[in-house]
Order: sequence, then structure tokens, then C-alpha cells
Amino acid sequence: MKIDLKLFAAFQDLEPTGQIELELPDGSLVADLRLAIDDYGRQHWPKFRPGLLKASAFASETTLLRDRDAIPADGRMALLPPVNGG
Amino acid sequence: MEKLHCAVVDIANERLDVSAAIEFVSDPGFGGIAMFVGRVRDMNHGRRVAGVSYDLFDVLAVNIFKEIASDTLHEFDGKLKIFVTHAKGRLGIGDLAVVVAVGSPHRDEAFRACRMVIEKVKHQAPIWKQEHYEDGNSEWSEGCSLCEVHDHAQHAGEHASGH
Repeated sequence: MKIDLKLFAAFQDLEPTGQIELELPDGSLVADLRLAIDDYGRQHWPKFRPGLLKASAFASETTLLRDRDAIPADGRMALLPPVNGG
Repeated sequence: MEKLHCAVVDIANERLDVSAAIEFVSDPGFGGIAMFVGRVRDMNHGRRVAGVSYDLFDVLAVNIFKEIASDTLHEFDGKLKIFVTHAKGRLGIGDLAVVVAVGSPHRDEAFRACRMVIEKVKHQAPIWKQEHYEDGNSEWSEGCSLCEVHDHAQHAGEHASGH
């Protein structure tokens, strides 16, 4: 399945387009996506910080997802580094 | 009667509106309004700040604002009106970043609910702040991991459902 991943904040600094596409097997979980991003980051982002990925959450367009959740069928996901509103 | 107003405001198009917040949470049966207004300050950790940029995942942010507001409304038996808006874009010193207002029959509920909402907005909504310093550098501020918030909320839900 194709994953369209939105990036924000420090991750957008690593990838100025603000999004990447990844290919994962059908039925993959959020945990699989986390591993795939770790691989991608180590290969493509010289300033990649694995610790930031570890502290980051995932969401669909509408809700937060846990590592054990399945990736939505449409493959539209967002990577959310630690937040700081207000 | 609409009890909740939750929005992300792109400051390229408009500004946060304190008067609109007061008007929204006003009600003939409400004797108290509490409001939190977050503004951009000129100093952080000893560094002179020239401005900040807020980035948001708009759709999810509004959903989470609504969840927070609905949970708070439920917590206070529905006798509230709640207004939540957060700015998106680049702000200067003194500009408004967030406005939370709560109207209720009495002041105690208004203060407590307002505090509850702003704390959750700061810790749970997908919002990121980049500070721009007078020395020309910019940095994303340290934040709260949503993994921990989510795990905590999930655990609380599982715990509650078991009783």
C-alpha cells in the first residue's frame, strides 16, 4: 500500500515539501510505518534524530493512532512531533 | 443553542477576536465568563524573541479542540459555553496566539473549565511553535509527546470501562 505521510515542524525542516511517500505491505500497522520512517530518515535526512521520531505520534486525517493500530486503507497519515500550542 | 466554537485562524486572513469569544459564551443564564488569552512574549529562556510561527495540522486540531471542549462540557453537566481558537502563521510580539473563553452560571465553573481547556489544548492538540530570535536564528520549541498523552488517555479509558 502507498502511504502519503504529512510532515510537520522539525520533520518539515528535514523534508521541505512537507510530505513523503512510502510503500508498505497491505495490512501494515502504524508500528511498521514507524520503522519504515526510521529507515528512510537514516538514508535521506543527514540531520535525522531517531529520538524525535520515537517521541512522535501518528494520526490519520481525523484521529490519533497507536503503534498497534492498522494504517487506514487510504494510506493518508501524519507524523506528529511533540506539540507546543498556546 | 450552539455551545461550542472551535477553530484554527490563519492570521494571513484574520486575527483572533476576543470580543467574538465573549459574545459567543454569553448567555442570559450565565453570570460568569473566564478567558485565557495567550500572547507572544519577547523573551524565552533568556533569548530575545522577535516573533513566532505556529504550524497546525488543521483538521485534526479542530477535532481535538472539539473533543476537549465536549469532554469539559460533560464534566460540568453541560452548563457551559466554550470558545477555542488558535492562530496559525507568523506572529509578532504581543500578537494573540490563542483565545479560550468559557461562560457559565457562576465564576468557579468558568475558571476551572477555562483552565482545563487551555491546559489540554497546549498538551494534546497538534500545534507546533517555532521561535524566531533577534539574533536571526529560529528553533522549534520543545513540546509534549502525543504518544504519552494518548497512552495515558487510553489507559484512563480502559481503567474507567473496567469499573
